[in-house]
Amino acid sequence: MITLLHDYQASRARLFKEYKEVQREKSADPDIQLVCDDSNIFKWTALIKGPSETPYEGGVFQLAFSIPEQYPLLPPQVRFLTKIFHPNVHFKTGEICLDILKNAWSPAWTLQSVCRAIIALMAHPEPDSPLNCDSGNLLRSGDIRGYYSMARMYTRLAAMPKKG
Amino acid sequence: MGYDAMANDVSAPAISRDLGKKKRANRSAKLKQCKLDARREQWLSQVKNSGGKDGSMGISPALPSPHRTMSLLRHSQAVLERKSLEREVNVGSGLDGSDSDSPAHSPIPIANMHRKGSSSTSASSGCSIGLCSRSVSDAEEDREEEGKGEEKGGVDDWEAVADALSAVVDHTQDKSDSVEKEVCSKKDEDHQNISRGAFRVSEPEPNRIVHRAWRADDASRPQCLPNLSKQRSFPVNMERRFAPSASVHTGILSVPSSCPICVEDFDVTDSSFLPCCCGFRICLFCHKKILEEGDGRCPGCRKQYDRVPCMENGISGVALSFPCRFSRSFSMSLRS
Repeated sequence: MITLLHDYQASRARLFKEYKEVQREKSADPDIQLVCDDSNIFKWTALIKGPSETPYEGGVFQLAFSIPEQYPLLPPQVRFLTKIFHPNVHFKTGEICLDILKNAWSPAWTLQSVCRAIIALMAHPEPDSPLNCDSGNLLRSGDIRGYYSMARMYTRLAAMPKKG
Repeated sequence: MGYDAMANDVSAPAISRDLGKKKRANRSAKLKQCKLDARREQWLSQVKNSGGKDGSMGISPALPSPHRTMSLLRHSQAVLERKSLEREVNVGSGLDGSDSDSPAHSPIPIANMHRKGSSSTSASSGCSIGLCSRSVSDAEEDREEEGKGEEKGGVDDWEAVADALSAVVDHTQDKSDSVEKEVCSKKDEDHQNISRGAFRVSEPEPNRIVHRAWRADDASRPQCLPNLSKQRSFPVNMERRFAPSASVHTGILSVPSSCPICVEDFDVTDSSFLPCCCGFRICLFCHKKILEEGDGRCPGCRKQYDRVPCMENGISGVALSFPCRFSRSFSMSLRS
């Protein structure tokens, strides 16, 4: 019980530090906007810009962070709130298949660095461990154009401001 | 090789400056000679002790200088004896001219060549080195000499002497019939140097810098001098400065003020605690937690933590830094 309480306080302190860091370096990474929930420091939201030269370019994707009380010993749970057509993102739940969010997590990572890793994943999909089988199959069969147009379509539909 | 060239360049102004001093203080130079003679005797006895006695004075004219063998060691001893003989002749023949105190025959060049450890030192360069170093500071020279005699009496140094002197030996072998002749030739060389020096005296500023630069491995020299040796000596200084705080292993990495995992400030124990050899520091508490509740891997490099970390506390940390420092200084001495 005491250790649980301590975990809670430790992760709180750590998240508070990260919060201050984010406030201080707001302009450091213009592709990432990390916002903490007003009432709960264990819930965060991030807005990331789709990397250029990918079908996600021009889109803004929302991520939801749910942080365990054992953080940073355990990784945060992250999922896409914005619909995205990507081999490593579940199309319905937005779950992300990324090693650093699972077994390759290190307590030295921060929420900010997780965002960066997700941007990198958008630019470099891993079709061999797909959560979105349709997208993965397109890429694995070499149909780059098919993948690109599908991803582009969903980016336009879901991640870009509606026109008119 | 580069050192040689530098020494040759540098020697000229040093001589010209030196010369005036020598003229005026010829008597004191004589006194100094006596002192140095005594010191030479010390040296020779040391050589005899360390190198083993070898009576054969038969010296092959062409020596493979870089070879580090015992035969060379003995050889160097023989050379030294021969040298001292030669020098006596020289001193006896008179302190008459302007450069009667021919530096090639004083023990100092030997000392310098031995420090340099250059295998390709020619007789003339050795001579100019002697001049150069003497002009810097005689007192310093003396100190160095003593230090060398006592501390570094090992095989390495005497090999270096042998290497450096082998060229001289070749030189003397050719003209073994008359030492005087060689002295004359040396004088000629000196005169050439002097004339060069007169030519260069007009720009003393750069000369001064270079002139000190060749004394790279002199521990007592100022650190602010711009040369390569500064880089070489840098890690040593770093070690000396930071050894107590046990941050030797991290090198340039500075000790963070707080734990990157729990963002608590480091206390004294934490800042001397290095759980992983990659240099990633965390506090003791987080380390324990990662071992017990986490995956037991270093957050910095993801390698599995040893159950017994690199350093448990400051004391053993300092103790462990010794082999490291020792090995580094060892390699330094090999290089210099």
